Amino acid sequence: MALAASLAFATAAAVASCSASGGGSGSSGGVLHIGTTYPIDSMNPFVAQSDYSYAVYEYVYPQLVQYSARLGITPDFARSWSVSADGKTWTFHTVPHAHWSDGKPLTAADVAWTINEVMKYKNGPAGQWAGLLEHMIGASAPNPTSLLIRYSTPVANVLAQMQSLSVLPRQVWAPYFTGKGSGLKTFPNQPPANGKPMVSGGPFELVRYKANQYALFKRNPYWWGPKPKIEGFGLQFFANADAMVQALKTGSVDFIGEYTPPTAVTALKKAGFVVTTTPSISMKTFIINTNPHKTTHRELLNPRVRQAIEYATDRGQIIKTAWLGLAEPGSTIIAPADGSWHDGGIKALPFDLAKANALLNAAGYKMGPNGVRIAGGHPMSYNVIFPPDERGTGDRTFQIMQSDLAKIGISISQQNMDDSATFNAISHDNYRTFDMAMWDWVPPVDPDFMLSVVTCAQLGNNSDSGYCNHAYDQMYARQSTLIATSARRALIWQMQKYIYAAKPYIILDYPDIIEAHSPKWTGFVVAPVMGSVNSLSTQTLLQVHQS
Amino acid sequence: MSAIATEAGLAGTVSRGRAGLIRQAIRERKAAALGLGIIAFFVILAIAAPLIAPYSTTARSCAVFAPPSASHWLGCDDGGIDMLSEIISGGRISLIIGFAATLIAMLIGGGVGIASGYFGRWLDIALMRITDYLLVIPDLAFAMVIADVWGPSLSHVIAVIAILEWATTARIIRAQVMSVKERVYIKRARSIGAGHARIIGRHILPQVGPLLMANTVLTVAVAIYLETALAFLGLEDPSTTTWGTILEHAFNRAAVSAGAWWAIVPDGLVITLLIMGCFLLGQAIEDALNPRLRVAHLSSRRWALRPLAGRGPDAI
Amino acid sequence: MRGADYVIRRAGFALLTIFVAITINFFLFRVLPGTVVSDLARVPHATPQLRHALTVEFGLAKPKWEQYLIYLRELAKGNMGISFATQQPVSQLLLNDLKNTIPMVTIGTLGAIVVGIATGILSAWRRGSASDHVSTNLAIAFYAFPTQFLGLMLLILLGGLLPTSGMENPYAGVFGPQSTMARLQDIGLHLILPALTLLLTLYGEFTLIMRSSMLETLGEDYVLTARAKGLTDRRVIARHAVRNALLPIATLVALSIGWIVGGAILVEYIFSWPGIGQALWQAINQRDYPMLQGGFLILAVSVVLLNLLADLAYFKLDPRISG
Repeated sequence: MALAASLAFATAAAVASCSASGGGSGSSGGVLHIGTTYPIDSMNPFVAQSDYSYAVYEYVYPQLVQYSARLGITPDFARSWSVSADGKTWTFHTVPHAHWSDGKPLTAADVAWTINEVMKYKNGPAGQWAGLLEHMIGASAPNPTSLLIRYSTPVANVLAQMQSLSVLPRQVWAPYFTGKGSGLKTFPNQPPANGKPMVSGGPFELVRYKANQYALFKRNPYWWGPKPKIEGFGLQFFANADAMVQALKTGSVDFIGEYTPPTAVTALKKAGFVVTTTPSISMKTFIINTNPHKTTHRELLNPRVRQAIEYATDRGQIIKTAWLGLAEPGSTIIAPADGSWHDGGIKALPFDLAKANALLNAAGYKMGPNGVRIAGGHPMSYNVIFPPDERGTGDRTFQIMQSDLAKIGISISQQNMDDSATFNAISHDNYRTFDMAMWDWVPPVDPDFMLSVVTCAQLGNNSDSGYCNHAYDQMYARQSTLIATSARRALIWQMQKYIYAAKPYIILDYPDIIEAHSPKWTGFVVAPVMGSVNSLSTQTLLQVHQS
Repeated sequence: MSAIATEAGLAGTVSRGRAGLIRQAIRERKAAALGLGIIAFFVILAIAAPLIAPYSTTARSCAVFAPPSASHWLGCDDGGIDMLSEIISGGRISLIIGFAATLIAMLIGGGVGIASGYFGRWLDIALMRITDYLLVIPDLAFAMVIADVWGPSLSHVIAVIAILEWATTARIIRAQVMSVKERVYIKRARSIGAGHARIIGRHILPQVGPLLMANTVLTVAVAIYLETALAFLGLEDPSTTTWGTILEHAFNRAAVSAGAWWAIVPDGLVITLLIMGCFLLGQAIEDALNPRLRVAHLSSRRWALRPLAGRGPDAI
Repeated sequence: MRGADYVIRRAGFALLTIFVAITINFFLFRVLPGTVVSDLARVPHATPQLRHALTVEFGLAKPKWEQYLIYLRELAKGNMGISFATQQPVSQLLLNDLKNTIPMVTIGTLGAIVVGIATGILSAWRRGSASDHVSTNLAIAFYAFPTQFLGLMLLILLGGLLPTSGMENPYAGVFGPQSTMARLQDIGLHLILPALTLLLTLYGEFTLIMRSSMLETLGEDYVLTARAKGLTDRRVIARHAVRNALLPIATLVALSIGWIVGGAILVEYIFSWPGIGQALWQAINQRDYPMLQGGFLILAVSVVLLNLLADLAYFKLDPRISG
């Protein structure tokens, strides 16, 4: 499903679109105008949920590490790191002589302070960061450039977690980490009224912010890393895609990110704009209830029925019609764009109505009078819960699936409801009542999160399928402690095969990320999450310049 | 709030036979004939939709945002679906919503108006407080919330529009009933001992009927309008095709930026045409009914701004 | 109805309606299936304690009637609660949004009134002529155009010439100098398309009313008398006809407020105008109860108050009633 900004987001730039630094004709200066239809919902990292909020934090606050173009972890505020033999203590060496934008020193102690304070409130107002601090005991900074983080057990994805952790300026935030922390979430964290910029530790500082309208950033004079080529940038919010695309065409913005609709691609290309489409790690899912205690329609628990449904899913047609070709066919719960975490050996079932019919016939579900098969005394006709996230492309996808499933004797109908109602309907009565649903996931790069949503622990929380299997849970627990990448990867591949066989989800497709910019600008570094301007690294806005 | 003025204004009502009035209105006023013609055209189109529509409204038959051509007279929309077929079929559902919502609103509004005007006193006060609230709250905002609460399905949209529209009708009917109630022959009927049902049925209804008719036509216009607004904001079932959802899809899938004016203009024009038709007919009926109606019961929601009919065939 | 009597009665009704509005608004939103908590608490690895904390924080665990009383008490203090989505005070957010909506809507509505009155007078005075027919039919046509369609048409036609979204160019004052005058000009430019859409969608109504009203008044005896006395045409219009014909306009404007609000919501959505219409739209999407309640309440109260004003104005102006 769409967790627009899970704090465990990590980005990897899968495609570097232009050589960045170095001399050449790249001019310096200028202000990049960015347009989006996803507004920054809050500048408070304990409240924000939207993608661009997290992209902004990436650029105004320091993070220990960031993602490289090839999905590897590279240094950021931490120059190097090591882990102890027992896997429970991580040591980071941070950049020396760094400062916050107000001149105060920025050291490892700030990181330790942030971590320890948030730990105190992670079950309360700082709950949004709780996931980053799993199994953590505490942090300390024996000297200004050394940071120690201690865990109770070895944790595999420490670096990915630290990538999402924004180091907060103590001088601003200390007053809110007091008492019950009730002020922590209501603090708007915006530039102060005196016109000065917000205190920043990243390449840019937030200079002006108007909620749901725009946010403007200038170069941070105290930035400790490579100097950005641009003077500053602005993030402007549009209420709809048409307005945003218009703005690009008329030149009032230079770059548009999320959400550029596939239908605008041809017109933009014709008008001479650079349109980038790149595979993403997000996915659209068709959810089928796997709960063995399901009350009705228990034929859905039969693996043959699930396979038949997948055989009747025409991914090619869906991608062509709903996505205009701008998506990749779905297979496992870890997308191919996620690099080596994806198990390329898992091949999705092809579109084959004959095989689908054969499976259902073999299972003994005879065709009923009006073209719908009968199973266990009742017709195989189901409601598909449909949240507003899926509108537009999801409607067309549903139409295609509906007509194909009708050809194998299964009838489905669309049940529209909003996000909260969707979750309630799916999780109702311990996931015993729902039959099917359509939703999506926009997971972080590290596969831990996506693997977790089908664990028993996430029932009632992130689980939108009701899948619960103890063997799988054990595998999940083990992979989360495997620091050695190859061992972890092997286990994760095994887990993908397991889930693929159980089929709580039929992964329909992985939609591409679409973005466009004026040819006057170059240096965008695209990532499979959010595109160029993302929460995974500072590369794009450090390198982008007028060509 | 305009109760006082309403009563004052309707004092000069002329009473005539119902059918005769409408026939006269149509004969006399070209506008009425035009309005009726337009409505009839769309109704016939809607009924014949499955026969006339050249392509399917669910399956792709052309390229996304394909411009008008010989095989697709109005081009195609964001899903590669023929626009002409969509408009023809969409009209069907839009009209169903419009008529259904209006019918319900008229039944409720008429009933409430008659009860309120006839029985008066506490019933009147209670019912009028409710209509006050419904008249006061901003239409679209209220509809948005309700559609959100109940979920975006067709029947819910019909219900929402009906809820918003019955109040205005109730007001007008009530005023009419109150003025009729004071007539001599009603009082005579009461004194003879005629029951309420009989009086309402035989004496009040015929007087109220024509006004209700005019109101119905005008309410259909508002219902269609509200449906398109709700659909545009995404508060209608997205898997159905109505005139409103056509505009919504166009806007959400960047038709303007793609230069696909054919995904927007024809649809907007047919909506406008139908609404104009209802407006012309409704006004004409009211004109014939009531040459001296005052501004009293004007309400933007009804589009029935009946200030004054003026004199003769020129006045609006 | 005597003067003071009437005023008190109408004011009383207005207050009662406001109270009913508050109550119904409150309960309406609590009927929603599913609550915001399930949304806000669905963070990765969220603990059950966190979800519980959020439930308690938003008072969603208390019985409905208790939540209602808390709401009334806070409302009396001017506190409309905290937005679920942004954690900021609702009244502050809505006030900011109102500040943006009011200029745009006022200009659009005033424009519509002026154009409506002018075309109405023209039509009435030249009754039956070609210009009358054209003017009247145009009015009906624009009246019938759905607001969103008008907006989209203006977007298509004027999108290249005028700014099509937002309230101002954000970069102007920050990355370079900008005088107050320049800023106002910028906002003015951005305001044109949304206000124009509102104007076009509203004015037809006023034209028709003005025209009919004028026609009626022009036929009145006292006007005939004035003409017989030899007063010039223009003075006849100005002094008698127009003044009396303005009466329905006053009422109409007030009654149109609900309609204007609806138009504003659509216009703000199309042109990304950061006003209360857009805030309402986002609050509905985010299931942000306090924002919804607050926004709705503000709109309902404005409409009630303006209707009350119209009633009183009508009362003053129409001698038939106040007499």
